[in-house]
Amino acid sequence: MSDTFERVKKVTAELLKVDESKITESSRFVEDLGAESVQSIELVATFEEEFGIEMDENEALAVKTVGDAVKFIDNILSKK
Amino acid sequence: MAKLSKEQIKALQENRCYADDWSKIEIPDDFKTDRIQDCYFKGNIKIGKLNGKVDIGDGIERACGIYRAKLNNVNIGDNCYIADVKGWISNADIDDNVVIENVGDIKCTGETTFGNGNPIEVLNEGGGRELKITTKTSAQIAYLTVLYRDKKNLVEKLNNIADKFSASFKKNRIYIGKEAKILNSVMLNNVYVGEAAEIKGAQYLYEGTIDSSKEAKTEIGNGVVAEHFIVQKGASVKEGAMIFSSLVGEGTKIGEQFSAKSSVFFANSEGFHSEACSAFCGPYSVSHHRSTLLIAGLFSFYNAGSGTNQSNHMYKLGPIHQGILERGCKTGSFSYLLWPSKVGAFSVVIGKHYANFDTSDLPFSYITDEDGKSIITPAMNFFTVGTVRDGEKWPARDRRKNKKKLDLIIFDVLSPFTGQKMIKAIKILQELYDSADKGVEFVKYNGINIKRVLLKTNKKYYQLILSKYFGDVLIKRMQKSNAGKISEILKIDVQGVSGKNEWVDICGLLCTKERLNKLISEIESGKIDDFENLQQELEKIYNSYEADEWNWVMENYKEYTGKEIVSDIPALLDAWKEASVKLYDMVLNDAQKEFVGNTRIGFGIDGNQDADFEAVRGKYDTNKFVKQLLERKSKVEETYNLLKGKL
Repeated sequence: MSDTFERVKKVTAELLKVDESKITESSRFVEDLGAESVQSIELVATFEEEFGIEMDENEALAVKTVGDAVKFIDNILSKK
Repeated sequence: MAKLSKEQIKALQENRCYADDWSKIEIPDDFKTDRIQDCYFKGNIKIGKLNGKVDIGDGIERACGIYRAKLNNVNIGDNCYIADVKGWISNADIDDNVVIENVGDIKCTGETTFGNGNPIEVLNEGGGRELKITTKTSAQIAYLTVLYRDKKNLVEKLNNIADKFSASFKKNRIYIGKEAKILNSVMLNNVYVGEAAEIKGAQYLYEGTIDSSKEAKTEIGNGVVAEHFIVQKGASVKEGAMIFSSLVGEGTKIGEQFSAKSSVFFANSEGFHSEACSAFCGPYSVSHHRSTLLIAGLFSFYNAGSGTNQSNHMYKLGPIHQGILERGCKTGSFSYLLWPSKVGAFSVVIGKHYANFDTSDLPFSYITDEDGKSIITPAMNFFTVGTVRDGEKWPARDRRKNKKKLDLIIFDVLSPFTGQKMIKAIKILQELYDSADKGVEFVKYNGINIKRVLLKTNKKYYQLILSKYFGDVLIKRMQKSNAGKISEILKIDVQGVSGKNEWVDICGLLCTKERLNKLISEIESGKIDDFENLQQELEKIYNSYEADEWNWVMENYKEYTGKEIVSDIPALLDAWKEASVKLYDMVLNDAQKEFVGNTRIGFGIDGNQDADFEAVRGKYDTNKFVKQLLERKSKVEETYNLLKGKL
């Protein structure tokens, strides 16, 4: 498991108040983890802070699963 | 007019009519005795021509005349139909072509102003903000009278204007206007009935005016009880509504057992099922559901969810607290607000809030509660389908048919009023971010909590909205002025006031403080001393909006970006394009949520969930609103290229 995945999982579990062990790469933020619209925005903001990056809002909100979020973040980190 | 001849008296007696004094009855030359039957006349009576027939809409033509009625001191115009008056019509002037059928009493019981000048305890149940309601009271006049109590002279002068108008109304006879219809109603005492008004099945109306005109008919319907009231043109009060010491504004609909006390409802408001007490409902305030109470609050462009409630006292010194929801707010089902609180424009309140907060610097926000804690998410509500739809539906739903409208309304969601707030909000959010300890989850602002991690995002959103707004106004200006050099078009508008002005929302009318202060000083000096002049001056302010808005944008763009618009058009257009596309994408994203996931719960009760859902709700791709948004989004690029080409 990548470090990014572990950190994404931790942030997601804390924010959405779900059991960290239940979060997998295929978990969908809205359907499986119950993220509401404000929580989705909050997740993006928290990822930005956690990884010290800036994310394009629309692109970030289009990400549906935890695994895709990890890829999205890794991609930004690789360009830093 | 002539006196009755002996033959005519005899004919009337044969028609089972009786008069205390036949000599007090005046008639026209071509008087028809067969059109008067079973009547009792007392006092002075004037009867107009009784020709032709009337149809009240039930397909039964009735011959004009007076049948089975008791009349005391009544003047009747030409071609009226009056029948089955079980009580009395007393002290009344009835104009031409009026229909009255199956009624109890229609009386004037003494000198009255018909509800005009009646002071009501709006906004503060305990008094101190009394408003003298009249048929000429607009949302703007009410706002200044009720909310500017620190300006004693102004309030006194506004009250004088109301008194002067009310005095001109004072009479000891009621009036029923041309072509009015009063049917199946029990009691109307001291009620002025305007032209073409329709009163059908009302229970009890006392001390009031039903203002009406041919172009904007006013309706009073079944079971209505109203005392000390004003109903303005084109309004309707129906279905068992109860109105006490209240004003129903132009195009407003009240019905379905709604009850109101000491409240005002300005243009195009709607009140059904629920209750209002000392509520100041500005234009487009809507409460549709039972268990909803609007109390001691200022609302406009407002939508109340079912069970919405507020508290205006805490069992201490009585009901002294009041609340303000700036324009465009919504309160969700069973939401609760503890007064005093002030909610910023175009915000949504969800949940129960026991804190007193002021979010007026943070428009377009979500206000939610989490375990009893009130939380604000600034700017979020701008990106919802609801806000976009609201902004479009209000002007499209203006029911006012009268040419001269009382309430002057600037509908714009984005305006210098919300623009100045967003500029301030950006500074506030930055300061909060800079000063917040990175370990805290929340920061506090004016009694409400903001999630620290979202401060930067919220600020970014306001910046995005501002970019769109600045661009929208620039484009409007450029498109309006097709001819002329850019430098000519993009200079200060000489018709407008300084762009450095602060803007206020005087209950629907957005204007600069400079213009408002000028108006106030003219009222205070006595230069403006009647409703007509006051309305004219308010209309001047209304008509200056576009010029003032442009000057505000010019000034504030410079202030905000450090650059003059005229030298920064390419960058402004670039920012506008980016912001517009982003905003449309976010709103479209919000709209998409209406078609996926949990929204399908309950559809397809015994199977075929998707098919049932699509049959009822349609598909995202073919949704009319979505298609409109997509079209607008595609036009952004088109407009951008067109304007860039002009530079």
